[in-house]
Amino acid sequence: MTATGASAAPLRRGQSRLRRIESRQALGFISPALAGLTVFTIAPVILSIVMSLYDWPAWGDRTFVGGGNYVDLFTRHPDFWPSLRNSAIFTLLFVPMNLAVSLTLALLLSPRIKGRAVFRVLFFIPVVTPMVANVLVWKMLLQPNGLFNGLSTSMFGIELPSFLSHPQWAMVMVVVMSVWQGMGYNMLIFCAALEQLPEPVLEAARIDGAKGWRMFSRITLPLLSPAIFFTTVMTMITSMQVFAQPQLLTGGGPGNATIPIVMFIYDQAFTFQQMGLAAAAAWILFAIIIGLTALQFSAQKRWVHYEV
Amino acid sequence: MRITRSLAAMTAAGAALALGACGTQSGGGSGSGGDGDDTGSGASITWDMWAGSESDIEALEAQLAIAQEENPDLDISLQHAPWNDYFTKLTTNLASGNVACVTSMNGQRLSGYHEAFMPLGEEELATAGIDPADFTEGSLDIMSYDGELYGIPYDVAAMLVYYNKDMFADAGVPEPVAGWTFEDFDAALDGLGTDGTAFGMGMGEFQWMALPIAHAGVQPVDESGALDLTNPAFLEASEWYASIAADGHGSLPPSASDTGWGEQEYQAGNVAMAVDGTWNASSYLNNEAGFAAGMVDIPSVDGERLGLVLGSGYGISADCENPEAALQVLGSLVGEAAQDQIASSGRSYPARISSQPLYFESLDEGVQDEVQAAFEAVFTGLEGQRSTDDWAQVNESIQPNLVTVYTGQSTITDVLEQTQSQFGD
Repeated sequence: MTATGASAAPLRRGQSRLRRIESRQALGFISPALAGLTVFTIAPVILSIVMSLYDWPAWGDRTFVGGGNYVDLFTRHPDFWPSLRNSAIFTLLFVPMNLAVSLTLALLLSPRIKGRAVFRVLFFIPVVTPMVANVLVWKMLLQPNGLFNGLSTSMFGIELPSFLSHPQWAMVMVVVMSVWQGMGYNMLIFCAALEQLPEPVLEAARIDGAKGWRMFSRITLPLLSPAIFFTTVMTMITSMQVFAQPQLLTGGGPGNATIPIVMFIYDQAFTFQQMGLAAAAAWILFAIIIGLTALQFSAQKRWVHYEV
Repeated sequence: MRITRSLAAMTAAGAALALGACGTQSGGGSGSGGDGDDTGSGASITWDMWAGSESDIEALEAQLAIAQEENPDLDISLQHAPWNDYFTKLTTNLASGNVACVTSMNGQRLSGYHEAFMPLGEEELATAGIDPADFTEGSLDIMSYDGELYGIPYDVAAMLVYYNKDMFADAGVPEPVAGWTFEDFDAALDGLGTDGTAFGMGMGEFQWMALPIAHAGVQPVDESGALDLTNPAFLEASEWYASIAADGHGSLPPSASDTGWGEQEYQAGNVAMAVDGTWNASSYLNNEAGFAAGMVDIPSVDGERLGLVLGSGYGISADCENPEAALQVLGSLVGEAAQDQIASSGRSYPARISSQPLYFESLDEGVQDEVQAAFEAVFTGLEGQRSTDDWAQVNESIQPNLVTVYTGQSTITDVLEQTQSQFGD
């Protein structure tokens, strides 16, 4: 008894010493990642909170204004509400269109048709080509002396509107161009999900006589719901953060008709040199995105079916 | 528990380090400004400048070589960014306290950046070996703000009306001559037709504003330095400018992102006239579209023409650690050899009087006399441009709205009134 007790005690001591050494080693191993996280993520996040509470010009004297920047944005700034509205319109148009188009493409390419790998690559090309090149091509299509108007006037004698300088058309074209650019990514996710569908379930449904629309709406779609949920959340977040397409295609114009919230933040910071205002707007955008994502997560119980 | 505590301590230490780094100047990093030692010899000086193409960079390197040769004991290096990114980059450099000792500045934008530069008094000019009398009269105004000199101009510029001689001949419209009036301008527009090829509507600040300013005879900033976009004369002149688009004479920018619309359309040979600065004269004369380019000064009203003297120059950053060495470099960059190089390459019209003839010699013989006559006309009776601290922002704010004006969705009066209420005091 005593012998066991005597041998157990050093063992525990040994164990705890070993654990200490291991902890120290672990700390050593994770410290590079931790240092990176601190310098490149945590510190900027903290700094941007501090910034949003100051009147913070790009250089020169900074003065503490508390919540002044937030009040300014909501009550006084002429471009803040329009830019929020534009981001909301973009998201409301872009997310459903993107999902519908990419899901349709995935469904069309899911049967083992000839050359489907080629089509997948073709639809994925806009995702990997640089945005600047995409926008240049679309500008050439959409300009009054571009391809669309040229074809329309020469073939039908109809003069198309000047898409990029008309407030409503400009937004529509930013959305259409973005759908074309982004559809390939979600299509690949849906393609992968379609290939993972459990064969026994599909077979059972087929034996029970399900086919066509019924098969799609009652079996395929519910089985795809985790993938749809994932793509909805991710697409919503990226569409709230849209910047390059309107910046390059319409310059936010005409007027402020297509300036999204991220471009507003960029302009405030780097054109108007109001870092504090920009940081405050960025935090408002962050709150909106977190809120919407939380909403989607809480709503998923109702419509997302995870296979058990 | 222990690991959590250590983690927290490390995170805090890291954050402190990072926050500290954000607030201070990074000392002596390679390629950054503000470095150098106190003695002056062996110091390294960085020169920050905009450059859009390989040929721009080559020209800058040639000037750098001249400055290096004249200051063998200094180590001079060049930093560059394209024009549109230059000021964004400068802003971030200023925010991080990392501005090059010799920093280039555009006269129109100096108002917003003057705090970043060291004021140049007689002593500084003596150190740099600069005699103000060597420079075109009034050109030091380009780099002055509020009566204080912040830099030395390397070029002087003014806005011109460029025209396409071939299109004028095809339309049977007489070519404009120096000293022409706005009636002549309107008559030319009428003669050129209403199919949108007579005039390229401007999007850049003076590409659109030069004509309204000349038409109104007033600047959109009053003599006290306050923003005056809603001056009745300026509003009326701006309405006249917008009517060029409404009447079908103007080629309209298809998108607010086409910030160089009028000039691009002219360069492509699509419009008969456009307003642009003297800095592009040689590229228009050698245009790839192959048309014969002509140039004439901005039209006048009742024999009076309000043109503004524009240009760019180099200044010394306020926190330069070695201003003496930087001043020597500045002296070389605006010195005779470097100015001769700028002039003889035809890149821009030098501010140094003795170098100016070389500019005309660099042009094709056939156009030399004509360009010289146009330049002599345009560089007389110019006025210094008045601006506000946030002048660049005012223009950034107007620009996307110009598209709605040209397409008739809003009026220029509304746009200017809105901008005035946002930026005016």
